[in-house]
Amino acid sequence: MSADLRARVLAAAAAQPSPTRAAVRRRNMLIGMAAAVSGIGAFVIFAVLMSESQLLRLGGDVVSQQHVQRPVWLVVATVGGAIGVAATALWLALGRGGSMLGRSPRWLFYGGVLIPVSLLVWKVSCSLAFGDAMVAWPERPGERCLSLSLLVAVGPLLSFLAIRRHAPVRPALNGAAMGLAAGACAWVAVDLWCPVAYVPHVLLGHVLPLFLLAGAGALLGRTVLSLRRR
Amino acid sequence: MTQSRISASGGGDGPHVDGADAAMERYARGDEAAFGELYDAIAPRLLGFLRKATRDAFAAEDLMQQTLLHMHRARGSFIPGAPVLPWAFAIARRLMTDHARRRRVELRLFSEAAADDDRIAYEPTATTAAADDVLHARRLEAQLRQRLEALPELQRTAYRLLQQEGLSLKSAADVLGTSVTAVKLRAHRAYVALRAVLREAGEPS
Repeated sequence: MSADLRARVLAAAAAQPSPTRAAVRRRNMLIGMAAAVSGIGAFVIFAVLMSESQLLRLGGDVVSQQHVQRPVWLVVATVGGAIGVAATALWLALGRGGSMLGRSPRWLFYGGVLIPVSLLVWKVSCSLAFGDAMVAWPERPGERCLSLSLLVAVGPLLSFLAIRRHAPVRPALNGAAMGLAAGACAWVAVDLWCPVAYVPHVLLGHVLPLFLLAGAGALLGRTVLSLRRR
Repeated sequence: MTQSRISASGGGDGPHVDGADAAMERYARGDEAAFGELYDAIAPRLLGFLRKATRDAFAAEDLMQQTLLHMHRARGSFIPGAPVLPWAFAIARRLMTDHARRRRVELRLFSEAAADDDRIAYEPTATTAAADDVLHARRLEAQLRQRLEALPELQRTAYRLLQQEGLSLKSAADVLGTSVTAVKLRAHRAYVALRAVLREAGEPS
């Protein structure tokens, strides 16, 4: 192997400064904070805007005040469980299992199936004990929860993609896992805001965004994470 | 402690792999000199792998360089104690796939363009030129094509974007994700190689 080639490679590397591990950690912390701020910001703005219209709606005869007031234990239980699942989703999506090639497809696939199922089952099973949460709300099909989920999750999804920019294998699958993790984080916010546990509503407003975000993550992952010649 | 963990993680891949893991770990922490050691430890294996896979020495060298530069750019995300060689091979393989895909597209475009050129060139020459002139032109074309295929992919692409696709230097640089100077240099090397073929054939270059 020629010394010329070695010199060329070393010179090319020297000409392109690259961040060290410490610098990457600092950068990732900043990106993580930006993701949290964007998610919380989107949630607060949306909740404030929607609460006014919600109050107007509550003035009508269709929805009684009783439907909105969830017991604290129910909120704590559903949100607490959702936080646990979201943390697991983040660990799956952002952790690499000690290998530079990331987690195996099997891990990512099982995570992709179990995370939405766990969130749905937890929400419904907690709410079963509180009958009023499960009643049908025809005026709340779930489109607002869908919008809130997507709004809250956009920032975190982009941040996760920025944090895991180098994925030499399975970029689409890794991107999908990141989308799912962002959706699971958004689920926590939506769960804080939305008192409805009617299953069709939950499927449309809470579960569907998980899959939409996973799909968006897969598409973005293929583009952003995939290796390209420079 | 980190050193011993890395050595232990090397498994049965031999002393070079342990050396590569240790060098990569030091490089991730900011020891700039460790990149040379990393190169010495993994470049021969990478190059052997790429040469066998591509059967093209120039492309293999280019892909090996790209692989190492990718590792250089991603050094900050290197996981302490992670084995470096599978990562390097995964990057090389991914880049090779990308390279092969581009090459297939180029070959298809080139063969379509050549078929068009054949039609255009054949119709008038069949009636006006002598048969041996046609034969000579065809041989020359084949030699030029062969030489172009033998060029490093970056030179070939730069040449094709400028000469066959008619892109400006700036556009070609954008397409290749490099500087205008680099595109000029690559295209110039391609021109030199193709002119050499013309000179050998006794044609004005």
